[in-house]
Amino acid sequence: MAEINPPGMPIERGKIHEFANSIGCDEPLYHDAEAAKAAGLPGVVAPLTYTAATAFFQPADAPNLIKDLGLDMRFILHGGQEFFYERPVFAGEMLTAEQGETIKTVKEGKRGGSMQIFDSFTNYKNQDGELVLRVKNTLIQTGGVVKE
Amino acid sequence: MSNDLFASIKEGDEFAFTKTDFTRTDFARYAGGGGDFNPIHHDQTFAEKAGLPTVFGMGMLTAGILSRVPAEWFGPTSVKSFGIRFKTRLWPGDDVEFKGVVKKVYEEDGTTHADLDLTAITSKGEVLIQGFSTVRPWSA
Repeated sequence: MAEINPPGMPIERGKIHEFANSIGCDEPLYHDAEAAKAAGLPGVVAPLTYTAATAFFQPADAPNLIKDLGLDMRFILHGGQEFFYERPVFAGEMLTAEQGETIKTVKEGKRGGSMQIFDSFTNYKNQDGELVLRVKNTLIQTGGVVKE
Repeated sequence: MSNDLFASIKEGDEFAFTKTDFTRTDFARYAGGGGDFNPIHHDQTFAEKAGLPTVFGMGMLTAGILSRVPAEWFGPTSVKSFGIRFKTRLWPGDDVEFKGVVKKVYEEDGTTHADLDLTAITSKGEVLIQGFSTVRPWSA
């Protein structure tokens, strides 16, 4: 697929509207620019997990954790994700992701042999270099296929 | 907006809603909204080849719906943190309750904060996600 240029994540009102509907949320501050303005906000608010969605729109040369760590896609589980907000994200901003450190821990699992747990940290900054939020993402590589 | 709520919030307070009968269309709508086109979530043929009975929902779909608990309870600008751990998969036809409980109320930097425990649990009692959130009043 074609990449967006210049690279970055334009936080757009229409995309926020679509995303909020996809999680079934009719909160006015996600959909209504007038309501956001009346609340003294610079634009509609991005839902809490919106930056996880925009991660799919990162350019191809963005850090690729799975590739960089040499993980086997067949045995990767998404363990969890944590978002720490300096403030809300607003439509009209342009965010860029900065990959921080990755911490690896190994646990002995009962079902799939040993598990490697990778906690990676990403900082999201806006067009003025302001830190807006930090995200911790947890990937788990199992020793084999996990049966439920 | 939610300052009155913060003045009266106490440990044990709850907020919950239920979404019944998740459909493949719900998964497809999140694929479009969230950009996750992993075929395991929308392609029956692909899912069967992977040894599954059918497609299953994206974890971030369930997480996104769970994030509505702190956002709709305290207002979307009041959320300081939100985190989730995935436990098991969401299947078509599942009925899911999304719930938050106030675990702790405290003052920090002169502002009332509340820590919430969050869960997404099916009507069969399976926990899909465990989560947490911290909320406090915020203004632009």
